[in-house]
Amino acid sequence: MQLTFDAEVERFRAEFVAFLDANMPTAEEATERSRSSAHIPAWARRWQRLQFDEGWLLPGNPPEFGGRNAGILEQYVHLEELGRRHIYHSFNPQGLGIIAASLLSFGTDEQKHRWAVPILRAQITAALGMSEPGAGSDLASLRTRAVRDGDDFVVNGQKIWTSGAHDADVLLTFVRTDPDAPKHRGISVLLIPTSTPGVTRRPFGSVVSRDDLDFNEVFFDNVRVPAENLVGELNRGWHVANGSLGHERTLLWLGFSHRLDDLLADFTPVGPLDADQYATLAMDALALRLLGSAALARAARDEQDVPALSVLKVFGSEASQRHTERALESAGPAALLHPARTAPDHHLRLDTDGAGWFERYARSFAGTIAGGTSEIQRTIIAERVLGLPRS
Amino acid sequence: MLFEFDAEQRLLQKTVQDVVAKECPPALVRAVADDDADIRPLWQVYAELGWTELVDPTETVELAIVLEELGRAVDPTAYLATTTWFAPLAPGVAQPGQTGSAVFDGVTARPDGQGWLLDGTARFVLDGDRADWLAVVTPQGVFTVPSSAAVATRTPVFDPLLHVADVRFEGVAVTGGNLSGADPQRGRHIALTGMALTMIGACRRILDLVLEHVRTREQFGARIGSFQAVAHKAVDMHVAIERARALAYFAALTIAADDPRRRVAASMAKAAAGECQSVVFRNGFQLFGGMGFTWENDLQFALKRAKAGELLLGGAAEHRALIAKEYRAADI
Repeated sequence: MQLTFDAEVERFRAEFVAFLDANMPTAEEATERSRSSAHIPAWARRWQRLQFDEGWLLPGNPPEFGGRNAGILEQYVHLEELGRRHIYHSFNPQGLGIIAASLLSFGTDEQKHRWAVPILRAQITAALGMSEPGAGSDLASLRTRAVRDGDDFVVNGQKIWTSGAHDADVLLTFVRTDPDAPKHRGISVLLIPTSTPGVTRRPFGSVVSRDDLDFNEVFFDNVRVPAENLVGELNRGWHVANGSLGHERTLLWLGFSHRLDDLLADFTPVGPLDADQYATLAMDALALRLLGSAALARAARDEQDVPALSVLKVFGSEASQRHTERALESAGPAALLHPARTAPDHHLRLDTDGAGWFERYARSFAGTIAGGTSEIQRTIIAERVLGLPRS
Repeated sequence: MLFEFDAEQRLLQKTVQDVVAKECPPALVRAVADDDADIRPLWQVYAELGWTELVDPTETVELAIVLEELGRAVDPTAYLATTTWFAPLAPGVAQPGQTGSAVFDGVTARPDGQGWLLDGTARFVLDGDRADWLAVVTPQGVFTVPSSAAVATRTPVFDPLLHVADVRFEGVAVTGGNLSGADPQRGRHIALTGMALTMIGACRRILDLVLEHVRTREQFGARIGSFQAVAHKAVDMHVAIERARALAYFAALTIAADDPRRRVAASMAKAAAGECQSVVFRNGFQLFGGMGFTWENDLQFALKRAKAGELLLGGAAEHRALIAKEYRAADI
């Protein structure tokens, strides 16, 4: 156990900090806001491309994919520095963290260069088509069908919750290719350009506002997709899903960690009840960082334990939610205001920009619902960490 | 920061687990509770293995590993008081194998000639009735005295394994030779962290027993651990333990490094252990159903140890008040 990282890791940090200090977008540049998770303003495209070209976008990748073959501790330090400055890696987080990552893990060389590199360089954006009206937590029951016809797949069906689809150039879409196989075994993954005839995207408002458009319904009506757009093996889509989501999960906790740090800065306790809650918040923030760093150390030794990461997700997401609720209730009627300012003005800190406590609290439910609800996570922990019998 | 055990620490943990399984089994703990069985052979084992000498502050993480495992076994000896209450306040005073405890408040030192007279009664002194030595914290400094200098009376308590005592000083004469020169603040941080780890160990034992129970107990034709209402309660116990453990080892690490953050970190350790035992006691007792309500079930010993820890050295709420006041300045 040690309180600090080794000198080599700290050298890496210093080098990255120097890059950030020299190149971070300024407030004057960063005026246009991102309107969805697949919309990258021009200044942010330039910023992402610069990170790619300099090997700072995803340091763990090889240079041709925006990195410098860095180890997991260096990747952690990298994200820690980004988080400290409230800088987004990319304004298309799923494009980077899930879709490009899946293509790099499971795609062909042709797919990596045709799709992953442009996503990483912010030339195009991508969205993830997983959930359906009848397939949420039970993702494997998805019904969107893809039928082989000559050199194409013909896709019919519907996705929902597809974040940023209306601003995305391509969808990584999970489809059923073998309706007769057991439900986990008949799923495949297709890259579907959103300009393909028959693709209809309908954004709908979130609980925050009718105009807060990130969610989409996506309809596929006899959409012809070239067979070369199949990612991974036919009917092995479940494997891709586990791989790409597992990859994302290693560092998912860091988002909650940053949110807790934000709360520590933004929530000023007033009375003794607030102070009591603030102390719990401080403990939660530190404990999550400690547990997260232990998980990283395991990952660094290739002892990754994906179910154990569910502990971090449940803990981090529920702690953020609980403390945001306290901050909301502590603010009294002022918390009703919308929009409102609850965080210092910061040109790169877009997630709390203009968000009052009510909005921040509402948004905290994304943490306990998306990416596997807390209930699903608890069942995973019960079965795979605690060894309890399956329900 | 890199927060996991190194190879030597993992080896120590394994060694302690193996020794404890053999030398401090549930049957011994029960025999102590029911028949006041002799614990001296067990204490001798700890001393022979060098565990009673893990008192240099730089070894606090190693001490923490032993304390967590002993908490898990519901250790019936005075190990916690000796290593975390007494030793940090009285370095080099006791002989190896001797026991000790501490009086943190309630006693005054009044000047008398070349020395002082100690007066006052301290209540709920852990193992005060069976310690060879006492360290006494007063505004004039920390004095160490043989326990025979005071009158100690064991207090009747709900937990059959817990020793706490009223310790009375009536004009006990001490001199500069009795002053230990130890930093009472750091001593307190070690005591808090040690208590936290003991509680966490006890909580882990509760979870171990609960998991074993719900994996095997059948109702409605199914093992009850397959019911989500049961499983999710167990998960909440696990999450609370993981959180408290992380904060307790962080505190141990700051003490070992003599990092100034140890003050807030020790309070965080104690507060988190307190919050943890609350969840683990409640869910653990509940999930055991009627069987956990019996004297025959060993669950009771771990439940009582975990809760007793919350009631000593300041509860979670008291420590949260300190954390809230000092967190921003502590730069954690």
